[in-house]
Amino acid sequence: MSSEVTISRRQALQRAGCGFGLLALADLLAGEARAGTSVSDDRAAHPYAVRAPHYAARAKRVIFLYMPGGPSHVDLFDPKPRLAADNGKPLPFEKPKLERTKTGNLLASPWKFARHGESGIEISELLPHTARCVNQLCVIRSLLADNINHTGAALQMCTGEQAFSRPSIGSWLTYGLGTENQNLPGFVVVCPAAVFQGAQLWASSFLPSAYQGTLVRDPKQPIANLGDPTGDLARQRAKLDALRQLNEMHKRDRAIESQLDARIASFELAFRMQRDAPEAFDLASESAATQRLYGIDSPVTDLFARQCLLARRLVERGVRFVQLFDAPMNNAWDHHNGLRESLPARCLAVDQPIAALLTDLKARGLLDETLVLWGGEFGRTPTAEGSNGREHHPFGFTMWMAGGGVRGGMVHGATDEFGWHAIDNIVHVHDLHATILHLMGFDHERLTYRYGGRDYRLTDVHGHVVRQILA
Amino acid sequence: MLEQSLHQTMRIACRSVLGGLIGWAPSLALAEDDSQHFEKHVRPILVDRCEACHSGAKGKTSGGLALDTRDGWVKGGDSGPPIVPGKPDESLLIQAVRYHDDGPQMPPDEGGGKLSESQIAALAEWVARGAIDPRAAAARIGGMTPDEARQWWAFQPLRKAEPPAVRDPAWPRCDIDNFILAELEKQQLAPAGMADRRTLLRRATFDLTGLPPTPAEVEAFASDADPDAFERVVNRLLDSPAYGERWARHWLDVVRYADFYDANPATRTASCELTEAWRYRDWVVEALNSDIPYDRFVVHQIAGDLLPSPTCEEVYPAGLIATTFLSNGVWDRGDADKEKIISDMVDDNIDVIGKTFMGLTLGCARCHDHKFDPITTEDYYALAGIFYSSHILKELGAKGGEYTMNRVPLVPAAVVARRAEFEQQLADLNACIKKLDEAKPPENNVAGAAGAGDADRAALVAQRDQLEREMPPPIPLAMAVQEGGMPGGLFPSIQDVPIHIRGSYAKLGPVVPRRLPKMLAGDDQPPMTSGSGRKQLADWIVAADNPLTPRVIVNRVWQWHFGAGLVRTPSNFGKLGQRPTRPELLDYLAAKFVAEGWSLKRLHRRIMLSATYQQASLATGDASVRDPENRWLARFSARRLEAEPIRDAMLSVSGQLDQTRGGPAGDDLTIRRRSLYVQTARWDRSGYAMLFDAANPDASTEQRTVSTVAPQALLLLNHPFVLEQARQLAARLLKEVSSDDGARLKYAYRLLFGRLPSEDEVAVARGILQSGGANDPVAAWADLAHVLLCSNEFVYLD
Repeated sequence: MSSEVTISRRQALQRAGCGFGLLALADLLAGEARAGTSVSDDRAAHPYAVRAPHYAARAKRVIFLYMPGGPSHVDLFDPKPRLAADNGKPLPFEKPKLERTKTGNLLASPWKFARHGESGIEISELLPHTARCVNQLCVIRSLLADNINHTGAALQMCTGEQAFSRPSIGSWLTYGLGTENQNLPGFVVVCPAAVFQGAQLWASSFLPSAYQGTLVRDPKQPIANLGDPTGDLARQRAKLDALRQLNEMHKRDRAIESQLDARIASFELAFRMQRDAPEAFDLASESAATQRLYGIDSPVTDLFARQCLLARRLVERGVRFVQLFDAPMNNAWDHHNGLRESLPARCLAVDQPIAALLTDLKARGLLDETLVLWGGEFGRTPTAEGSNGREHHPFGFTMWMAGGGVRGGMVHGATDEFGWHAIDNIVHVHDLHATILHLMGFDHERLTYRYGGRDYRLTDVHGHVVRQILA
Repeated sequence: MLEQSLHQTMRIACRSVLGGLIGWAPSLALAEDDSQHFEKHVRPILVDRCEACHSGAKGKTSGGLALDTRDGWVKGGDSGPPIVPGKPDESLLIQAVRYHDDGPQMPPDEGGGKLSESQIAALAEWVARGAIDPRAAAARIGGMTPDEARQWWAFQPLRKAEPPAVRDPAWPRCDIDNFILAELEKQQLAPAGMADRRTLLRRATFDLTGLPPTPAEVEAFASDADPDAFERVVNRLLDSPAYGERWARHWLDVVRYADFYDANPATRTASCELTEAWRYRDWVVEALNSDIPYDRFVVHQIAGDLLPSPTCEEVYPAGLIATTFLSNGVWDRGDADKEKIISDMVDDNIDVIGKTFMGLTLGCARCHDHKFDPITTEDYYALAGIFYSSHILKELGAKGGEYTMNRVPLVPAAVVARRAEFEQQLADLNACIKKLDEAKPPENNVAGAAGAGDADRAALVAQRDQLEREMPPPIPLAMAVQEGGMPGGLFPSIQDVPIHIRGSYAKLGPVVPRRLPKMLAGDDQPPMTSGSGRKQLADWIVAADNPLTPRVIVNRVWQWHFGAGLVRTPSNFGKLGQRPTRPELLDYLAAKFVAEGWSLKRLHRRIMLSATYQQASLATGDASVRDPENRWLARFSARRLEAEPIRDAMLSVSGQLDQTRGGPAGDDLTIRRRSLYVQTARWDRSGYAMLFDAANPDASTEQRTVSTVAPQALLLLNHPFVLEQARQLAARLLKEVSSDDGARLKYAYRLLFGRLPSEDEVAVARGILQSGGANDPVAAWADLAHVLLCSNEFVYLD
């Protein structure tokens, strides 16, 4: 056997380094110093240490604004005059076999669209604030997904796979890149209510659990078990010092030193997180003007405003991936009925906060390296469900991207004249994922993890980078 | 059997190759020019510009199309065969390279873009000349040639291996040690010294029961000079009911067990929840404790509903309950596409059976032939027919609605009928009483105003009360699998099913008769005519000549004792798995296991009484540098305890552990029962156990990862459950040791670590006690107890 010590992935996992240990911090600093070059590959010892991607990244961080339930593309971003012209008439071609319930005839959008910005992109009157940011948006009107149910479609949007457990986008990215703040989790999910499939949407699956999204239900109670902020920190420090001394004695004459060190470091980091996380989550320290910009002063926008402002604070502090669910309840965007009342209500709740986030990121010079993504698991049928609703619609729908590496002020792709099928420059969910990874500096075919005897990737065996939208 | 099947396959393969040659004979006259044209102009284009995405050998066949063999394009992809020999204009391949407007344009931009005109012309000419393709395809069964399959180590019969001779005959205590030491001697590695008794007892007790030894047990063993002392310890631990609870958890990892979907009891949907899953968990505990032979353990889980009751009762509860193995699976419950749910259930069952019992990734053949192992799509759908002929659901439910699980009574029909009769009578009585109450004007309810109706009512109430007293107990139910296809599904009866093209029920191919995988079970299989075939499948999995099953379980048990298996991919013994580090030892153990009646307890004893198991974790010399992964086992691999033993040990040392066994799971970690009885919910990953790397219940978990992250430390530092255990431990120390702090500290160390504290440790502890303030000894001791519960020694095992 050669004298060079080689450590397999499995063994490395068992050695199981500390999440964000002191050593990781050292690594981090070293990593920053030689950014762009190869950084430590010892993920087990230092799962969050900064790692270089395959090639120069266009974006360093992601904020995914997720609208669970499926926002209606034909009422928000994809105007269809033909729907107005043919309102109440049947869809003039056969619907796909994949169908949940039978929908009725075509339903014109009750809302007006107007052109905005230099690009003249048409956006619904329901989103006046977002419309003002149109020059930053790349509106993709030709998304295609494979599943017609929330559970499967949301899983596909967040993990690439419809039925089985796979790592989420955020898990892949923190696995690939590590994270820039070792005192905060690298992947944070803010989801006020329980949503379909819940934790599977941010699960690390077979990737080490260090890459799982950290769930924040209530921004006031940001991370589980942070303890009592008014507690006796000096006493806790004394206990931690005693713990450290005992652990150092225990370590003598033991073979698994790196594991034991990692655990010692994990307690130190926990202590630092207790100290730093409250600051990161403290929205009150923002100026009144900023709070107003996001809409924290209004009960209508308050919840999502807090989520958006928190997202900015987190990416500002080096968190790699933030996923916000607009979820005051499960499936808030699932407008099977009450479309005319509920969709405007949802738009009111998120429109101003989202525009504020884009504006604020730009003002702070963060937008260039932050990829912002908006959408849900699918769109909604151009035909009516009942008299005032729309069904699930994965065959053609809209998402938008902004910031890091994306061309602003453009529309990519199109659906047919009824908004039914994506027909032009179709972007499958796998293509979207390939593009996100590309912007973050990864070849989606090479960011892999071996599990159960085979290499897995976010895009499975699919996915093409949508080059037309790259800045 | 294996050999025979291979020969047969070879014969068939040879015939088809010959057939191909004969079929193509007429064009042989032109062959030279054509094949030169192919080699010179066509092959380079295919290799350089097409095979990156269309190569069977590389396992990349976009659109299902392979262009690296003649068979590949003859068979075609999702859009059918792309070449019509002699007709370039009708060939999709030519249209694609010409970049026709309506259709695929190949190669795509990221593949380098359109071919040059001369390249396109060369391809068109090749097709026009008849698409002569001299590339011979190797006959393959799935991902292997028949030769490879025949020689694959895992498919070989168990070899009889004699324990090898060793240079140091003093070290081995049993045959295992000869195998281990012989290899160590070859590698010039010396085994570690023996673990001391305290370490060994702590190791064995956690290993077999998931709990720490008591101070009394440590002392008894430390002072027992009898050479058989450890054997008696192992026997005592194996006899303890905690053994089944500990080892059931290992098994539950592999079989993707969950207690519920929804962690919130208030929002669970009754019809499709896993409400009776716990009966399966309890059955596994009981089966392990009673050391039911492993072959029977396997058969119960696949076909227990088809087994007769050993005591000739009408119903065999254990058999029904065991099949929850199949019904507690992973699929998208909410999918409105009900046919897809059924096909996903079938897939889940095939997948989990293959991985769990045989280390075969059968599920890979759902959409295409297995890329690496000798399993074809035909094999897959032959198995699928078995599961399409069984059902897990009682009703599929309406579109968009939830389905209803089977819930099968565990008592005879007469008992069920009797309970139903009582329930009916009770309902009738209640209806009568309600009617009376409604008929009567409310003012008559005033006390004292008794009438004739009141007497009637009183009689009815008395009757109802008596009925309620005599009501037989509720009917116990199990989520059992039943024979017959899914009512209302595409395949509602016992039947063979067609191949699903690329895994989709919407695209059906030819029907395949139900049978076992040909490569493994041979071509001459008796037809499955009685029932679904689950019983035949189960019997074959544990048949004497199936070498996979004993190898796989012996390897799992080895892994759960040592931290890593002899095969380090315990659920994949195929080509992508790792080879065994000690094939002879694996076969030796597997053969003994079968010969000794498939007894897991005997296997535990055999392993634990070895010198190999009893080594210290600190290596001799440079063994840990030369073998960092400990493949050669020149030491014991120290490790962190899993989520469950960490929590159970806290409850145990604090004196709070409630050892009640069995029954439905509790809601969260704050209950005082063992962690086995804290619910695992498919939709919730936020719980304590997941944080400490418990198995993901959404997939069969062959081995847990071990992560060390700050959120774990946060939980240990701040969670009320941990703080409560620290307080209870402090109270226990103060109560049980009434003398001075020194004596209390000694007792604490004996409880938690099975040893006495060193002087340095005493000094650190006194520091905490003193700085905690003399006026509140309970708080000071709780702080110290908390520190000790957080310590590395408490959660690591040497």
